[in-house]
Amino acid sequence: MPRPAPDTIAFTVDGLEVNAPAGMMLADAAKLGDVEIPVFCYEPKLGEPVGACRMCLVEIEGIPKLQTACSTPVRDGMAVNTQTARVKEAQEAVLEFLLINHPLDCPVCDKGGECPLQDITYGWGPGRSRFIEPKRHFVKPLALSPLIAIDRERCILCYRCVRFSQEISEDYQLVLQERGADSYVSTFDGHPYVAPFSGNIIELCPVGALTSQPYRFRARPWDIEGSGSVCLGCPGQCNVEYTVRDERVLRVLSRQHDGVDDGWLCDRGRFGYQSFHVDERVTHPLVRVDGELIPVAWDRALDEAAAALGGAGSDSGALAGGKTTNEEGWLLQELFRGALGSPNVDSRADGMLPRELHAALHAPALQATVPDLEFAHAVLVLDCEPVDDQPSLDLRIRKGVRRNGVKLAVASSRPSSLDANAAAVVRYAPGAGEAFCAALNGALGESDAGPGSATRKGVVEELAEAAGADADAVRALAAVLADAGEDVVIVYGERLTHGARGEDAARALLNVCGRVAEAGHDGAGLLEVPAGTNGRGLREVGVLPNAAPGLAPVSPVGLASAELGASAAAGAISALYLLHVDPLRDLPGRATWRAALQRADHVIAHADFLSEGLWEYATIVFPAESYAEKEGTITHPDGRVQRLRPAIARPDAVRAEWNVIADLSKRLGHDVSVLSGAMASARVFEAIPFYAGLTLDELGGRGLRWPARPAAAGWPAADTGPFGLETPPHAPTPNGALRLGTFRSIWAAQEVEVAPALKFLRQRQRAELHPVDAERMGLAHGDRVTVGSNGSRVQATVVLRSGVPEGSVFLEAGIAEESASELDGGGLVEVSPQ
Amino acid sequence: MTGPTILFEDIDERGLNTIDVYRRRGGYESLRKVLTTMQPSEVVDELMASGLRGRGGAGFPSGRKISFIPKVDVDKYLVCNADESEPGTFKDRELMQKSPHMLIEGIVIGAFAAGATKSFIYIRGEYVEQADIIDAAIVEAREAGFLGENILGSGFGLTLHLHRGAGAYICGEETGLLDSLEGKRGNPRLKPPFPANQGLYQGPTVINNVETLATMPHIIKMGGAEYAKIGTETSAGTKLVSVSGNVQRPGNYEIELGISSREIIYGLAGGPPEGRAVKMWFPGGSSSPVLTGDDLDIAYDFNTLAQAKSMLGSGAIIVVDDSVPVVSVALKLAKFYKHESCGKCTPCREGTRWTVSMLERVDQGLATPMDLDIMASVQEQIIGNCLCVLGDAMAMPIGSMVAKFRDEFEAHIEAARARNPWAGEGPPDPDPVLVQGASGA
Repeated sequence: MPRPAPDTIAFTVDGLEVNAPAGMMLADAAKLGDVEIPVFCYEPKLGEPVGACRMCLVEIEGIPKLQTACSTPVRDGMAVNTQTARVKEAQEAVLEFLLINHPLDCPVCDKGGECPLQDITYGWGPGRSRFIEPKRHFVKPLALSPLIAIDRERCILCYRCVRFSQEISEDYQLVLQERGADSYVSTFDGHPYVAPFSGNIIELCPVGALTSQPYRFRARPWDIEGSGSVCLGCPGQCNVEYTVRDERVLRVLSRQHDGVDDGWLCDRGRFGYQSFHVDERVTHPLVRVDGELIPVAWDRALDEAAAALGGAGSDSGALAGGKTTNEEGWLLQELFRGALGSPNVDSRADGMLPRELHAALHAPALQATVPDLEFAHAVLVLDCEPVDDQPSLDLRIRKGVRRNGVKLAVASSRPSSLDANAAAVVRYAPGAGEAFCAALNGALGESDAGPGSATRKGVVEELAEAAGADADAVRALAAVLADAGEDVVIVYGERLTHGARGEDAARALLNVCGRVAEAGHDGAGLLEVPAGTNGRGLREVGVLPNAAPGLAPVSPVGLASAELGASAAAGAISALYLLHVDPLRDLPGRATWRAALQRADHVIAHADFLSEGLWEYATIVFPAESYAEKEGTITHPDGRVQRLRPAIARPDAVRAEWNVIADLSKRLGHDVSVLSGAMASARVFEAIPFYAGLTLDELGGRGLRWPARPAAAGWPAADTGPFGLETPPHAPTPNGALRLGTFRSIWAAQEVEVAPALKFLRQRQRAELHPVDAERMGLAHGDRVTVGSNGSRVQATVVLRSGVPEGSVFLEAGIAEESASELDGGGLVEVSPQ
Repeated sequence: MTGPTILFEDIDERGLNTIDVYRRRGGYESLRKVLTTMQPSEVVDELMASGLRGRGGAGFPSGRKISFIPKVDVDKYLVCNADESEPGTFKDRELMQKSPHMLIEGIVIGAFAAGATKSFIYIRGEYVEQADIIDAAIVEAREAGFLGENILGSGFGLTLHLHRGAGAYICGEETGLLDSLEGKRGNPRLKPPFPANQGLYQGPTVINNVETLATMPHIIKMGGAEYAKIGTETSAGTKLVSVSGNVQRPGNYEIELGISSREIIYGLAGGPPEGRAVKMWFPGGSSSPVLTGDDLDIAYDFNTLAQAKSMLGSGAIIVVDDSVPVVSVALKLAKFYKHESCGKCTPCREGTRWTVSMLERVDQGLATPMDLDIMASVQEQIIGNCLCVLGDAMAMPIGSMVAKFRDEFEAHIEAARARNPWAGEGPPDPDPVLVQGASGA
């Protein structure tokens, strides 16, 4: 559905003429004339108004009854009164009713001081109550979940939380129980409300009925300061506001940005802040002495690192993890390319993609934006699971489908939580993304040209079979994309372009895109879900073995991460530099990486926690900043450059990482002349042609999409399709074994493991199986099994899911123990009972 | 003389609930006429000409309601509201029990006029026997070709399903009914959009009461203009009234609109028992503001009752004689509405609870006359400020009782305080005569 065209009308509120967009609700439109109409249940983010609280009653000339401003769209010439005696009476009546059962325990309520009910009572209330009967009582507070406490006496039954659960996150867990004055908010079956987005209801609650368990009684509003920045938890890069008290982050709130997050946060982003302040955090430089990491002074750590790197010279390599900022990434490649003469820098997990393909996949002409998902005719979600990989996208896609009738198509190996909303779903074998894209391309070719087209008969069947998918399902999905309209957005996971055949997969994807989305057409194109938070930015600032800053050509070409690991395992690499990455945890091929870390003479890491690989093998560890301490810029998957601003001081001996890398560079004789965070940003903007002219001031609190700026012309030439492709390899036939698919859930993250509030969500390995496969192997839900391949094995608990394609098993990667990355082999694994 | 009988003409004929007897009595002939000789717009014109107003409570002109259905090519629905949950109302019950085919015929005619192809009867869960009768009648009608595809060879098709509610008053409110029918919690929806535009499953929907639909075949048979001659200018036709309470012959009666209320209460229902006088009466169900014994001579039609600041509502007349204390009536009523409030909007949810609390205090003598002012003011705060009319349905009768019987309320407080050892200063007075006297004020 295309975006509605704005149309301005004029109406009068309290005698004041105001211009507003047609169709805007009166409660919002009145604000344009500086008139506030009090509301409780109304929240535009939640969709259609419900008119339940009756707080916003206003008088509209020509209509005898008072009307709810939240549900009345403004019309040209409408005359509205919000100050008449009748309106005042109604407002006082509603507030008197609402306060009948409210305990008025504001002095001990977390919400006191930032409470809409309090504010509106002061502003519009009757001042005194005539109610002398006993109030309604509930046991309180109760744990709605380990993260949320519910105080039902404070609840004014505005429905916001229930609507969020039903209509935004669509987890359908919260309901109103009972009826009338006995109503209360609850989960249907009394189970804890655990869901990826549950924390949003705390922020939505207009009273203190839903409070954050970790924040309860930690501060009053006058103790705290708000500080805006960006969450680094995932590529969604939601805008957040940290609540800071005495240099500690006590809470994370959403800082609504419709271009990025729509005002929602996932629970990992909302509660992960606790990881900033745990004892496990590394806060001093560490050097391994006699097998043990001991805290040392910065000078010693830097000297030793400089000596190690200087000694290794070009026999060194660096990896940057997703939480690396643009500035840190740029400095890292300066350090390696400039000071050490080593081309081995990478930020991708697995395999190298030609520079021109990077340029093609992210070309401004093909770049879709996040809001495009809301208004597209069709969206294809390809090889990713938004709720796990970039949670904010999940909500955005649901919104588009629910409110604007976007046609959704889902193509993935693992069943997706979006399946139920999709008009077409295709399941293909794990790792067969390339074959699927080829099959889809073929199917689109058939419908493009009609009968007698160039597409050979039966080719879709062949390709679908190679992908382990159903040809008719591929055709149905192709039809959804082809018939929807011109605004088609493809959301694809970076993992599609990983591995040995990532290059072919990227070309196949570009062929599909060429058929459904016109280059240069606004509202259509590609949107990547990178594997790391700043995946896009790191590639753009040159943390790639085959591209310099600005995706410029580079010679010689360095080793990509997997090759680097193999090379180090073979003893050819002397020093490894790990910036916010632990290969054992974050990268595939654990066995190789373990050998590599063991074999390398020096393993230098920036880390805030000593995860397994660093704990065992790092020789020098620099304490890394938490993301509330960082300054710099990151680039959103849709090209929006966003600014990080430090909210709290760095604890103990922690130093800014740009400063550490610049210092090392200087010690190694390559002075980059970066003396402040702002200088680092300026250097990045200078170095990258398509960032040219950006300034931190211009980025401000909202960021800027560089593809929409004139400097985007500096984007390098791309290798555009359509490509003639060889036949993709057939997905391995299970033949008794099972195809291994991996995924990373929203909870597979360091902060979940260390933040006290989130620890209960820590993931344990589970093997997702189709019931038929499980029955064949004599396994039942909950059984413990060993999944093995080529001598490597992990332990897991069986979980039966009928959506899993038969012949496949899914294991989780990125978790601390028994991670799927332990398994090496040709994509086939054996599952055996323990 | 109560005028012509239309709906109840053959109502007591044995076996009228079967299709054979119904057809022998001329049943389904109107449907045949409609489907073979008329256009949908002509049916709407007939309904408009008849002046038929909705019999469920709101009294909205039925023809106009159907004419609001947009003429677009989407699935449209007709829903028959058989929830009949208004206390005192039991006319639809008799109609469905004794003449289900009249309703089905009306549904098909209404659906044809509206262009609806799917229809539902939402019947209250307590009507077990009636639901079984309708289910059987639907089967008969389908077998006889009056439901299903291509009815009577006209090309018009209609499916009809019976859905049993679970006994919530709010599901008689049309949008609450739709939510319930969709499988959701039965809460009223915000209007607009009105059901005519976005009703069941977001499609255009006509919702009519059982009696309204059952009248349609008769209007087709006699012609709209002819029907309009019955009754008064603004309240055409006949109406089924359910008379209950302190009368000697409670029951359903069909009357011509516009006859005097005394004729119904005394003439048809026999008036209160010997020696008793009418203290007050609800002219249109428990949610209509009460009228007193002085109002018995007003004409029973939509406009006259509205002028008397009450309403015809569902046509359920509840008579209260002078043996009943007004406070107990008010308390019973308020408790009902408190129990049935869905809780979605603030004034109704909190106002009904508060009113019950205050009335309980009044009843126990723990109140003062000032509480009566607060009670009256709370009713004012509810009326017109709610999402649907349930709040008003309590506030209007309670408000009218407090206004019209204030003396009795005050006397009741005094008497109960005297009786209640915890409330007053003096010793409890064991004499029940005092209480009786209070109620007789």
